[in-house]
Amino acid sequence: MASSVTEPRPSDSSPAAGAAAGPGTPETHPKRRKGLSERNRPLWLLIPGGLLMTIVILVPLAMGIWMSLIDLDQYTLRQWVSAEFIGIQNYIEAAMSSDLLRSIWLSVSFAVISTVVTIPLGVAAAVVTQNAYRGRALVRSIFLIPYVLPSFVVASVWRTMLQPDGIVNVTLNNMGMDGGLWLNGPNAYWTLVWVEIWAAWPFIYLLALSGLQAVDHEVHEASALDGALWWNKLRYVIFPYLKGPVSLAFLLATLNHINNFTLPYVLFGAPAPSDVNVLPILVYVTSFQSFRFGLSAAMAVVSLILIAIPLFIYLRAVRLDVHEGGKK
Amino acid sequence: MTLDAANPIEQQKKQPIRRDAALEVTRLMPRPLLAILTVLLCALVLTPIAYIFLASLNTDVGVASGEFWPSSFSLDSYSKIWDSVGLAKAIGNSLIVSGATAVVSAIMAIGTAYVLVRFSFWGRLTVLRGLLGLQSIPGTLMLLPVFVLFSSAGTYLGVTVIGTLWGLFIAYLTFALPFSTWVMVTYLRGLPRELEEAARIDGASNIGILFRIIIPLSWPGIIVSAIFAFLLGWNDVLFASVFTRPDTHTAAVALQVFASAVEGGAIPVYSQLMAAALVCAAPVVVLYFMFQKYLVGGLTAGSVK
Repeated sequence: MASSVTEPRPSDSSPAAGAAAGPGTPETHPKRRKGLSERNRPLWLLIPGGLLMTIVILVPLAMGIWMSLIDLDQYTLRQWVSAEFIGIQNYIEAAMSSDLLRSIWLSVSFAVISTVVTIPLGVAAAVVTQNAYRGRALVRSIFLIPYVLPSFVVASVWRTMLQPDGIVNVTLNNMGMDGGLWLNGPNAYWTLVWVEIWAAWPFIYLLALSGLQAVDHEVHEASALDGALWWNKLRYVIFPYLKGPVSLAFLLATLNHINNFTLPYVLFGAPAPSDVNVLPILVYVTSFQSFRFGLSAAMAVVSLILIAIPLFIYLRAVRLDVHEGGKK
Repeated sequence: MTLDAANPIEQQKKQPIRRDAALEVTRLMPRPLLAILTVLLCALVLTPIAYIFLASLNTDVGVASGEFWPSSFSLDSYSKIWDSVGLAKAIGNSLIVSGATAVVSAIMAIGTAYVLVRFSFWGRLTVLRGLLGLQSIPGTLMLLPVFVLFSSAGTYLGVTVIGTLWGLFIAYLTFALPFSTWVMVTYLRGLPRELEEAARIDGASNIGILFRIIIPLSWPGIIVSAIFAFLLGWNDVLFASVFTRPDTHTAAVALQVFASAVEGGAIPVYSQLMAAALVCAAPVVVLYFMFQKYLVGGLTAGSVK
């Protein structure tokens, strides 16, 4: 009965074949499901998780879409089942007479700017901790601190530091500069970008690190033999290894930035100043402060569609069906 | 040599190169530049961190006037926050909800992941794809329907959910389950099958294999998925700000409420705010550094694997 699981595996069974076996054998599985048992499956184990996910995820998701099509406010909320169906009117209102389009622009630009700045930071951090030296473990731990701290703590701290009389402005004054307002007005947008960068760059660092670890020792030796200058080596030898992990990091980080509610909420409060009225805040305020639930649901659906684009690219790119064990 | 071929044979090529020579070869940048970059990055991280510590040891007036180095050190803030923020109760609530989320999602994740990794069935790839996709659903999209569901439970079933920790727990499972399951999927993929095959030949059932082989071998994965579920609950502000009353506030909401009250007050008590922030961060940081070895891989589990 175990015949289906004991078939030789293409890549792992012949390590001695080494590099030469590389191109032909691995990647091409003639039978995709090889190694997965089809008999005697304990599928009932899927029931608890599946049931719970259906109740807590799929049902609310369907309800969210339905709610975007009905006229729902604080008066009709209790009898939401019988609220009036108004089709796409919520969407029309969201597009024509709300801050939605502006919020989309703010969210997307904020997310892209943050990601673009964090990538060189993260890659640099990965490169400088690549070689072992005394104290490297400590440096690596330090690099992870911003990522480990809860967002609400990070935001509270920066909010305190950026108060009009806070430490940042006092320091700037001592240096002869005028700080001005950071948590309100046009500067608020750049405050949000800055704090997000501070909190998020270690994510890129982690992914870049995993990319660097794939670089073989022989590659280093070969470029040393060629006498490559360090920046040429980085540019032409090392960075190609990082292309994959960093592109994934780009997608995921952008998604995370767009979805980030905690940071703008704790930094600026709700309702937020108009320059940082990003999508999650807009949806939240429309629901729980203006009580325009239907309108808010429509905005939420629009934001889902917005993030579905990078999400789709990501799901296409990631390999879902790797079954052979051993390697990461 | 192709990039793909380079990876699987990594283990074999521990060639006898002298250590210092090897270091010289793998160095990516000149030493001074490495040092400068390292120092800059550490300064970027540590300056605000130093500020939190110093401000929490300062007096409230000192912090409000923009001091970096306190003119007098005191631990007063750390004793005041338990009354002024109600921090003990809030941290207790956070521990209960996040802990329950961690345990339940880890238990459910292992069974689900075992089936997903070792058995084929119709819709398997869709489920895997769904697990990844669901992690990116914006919380703000789920918040309203979940809120309405919970308030309907009050209207139609007479069960109060909003304002209780139960509601929060269910909401956190929404996000923790797909993530924990995915972490377990990536972990189980790395386990060798030989033990399971041997057990099967000895007549073990699927469930026997799950309990006697998979679970004992997967403790690191289980811990990682539980910790991430815990962090998810601990770090959340969105759901907690809507679903809790003052007596069920979590640490995140208590801090947020305190922060807004601080700025409205006559004397802003920023020192207490910083002390409370540190106390809220402490469990997470401790957990993190205790399990750092396992967690670093898990942080990127959803993405590269």
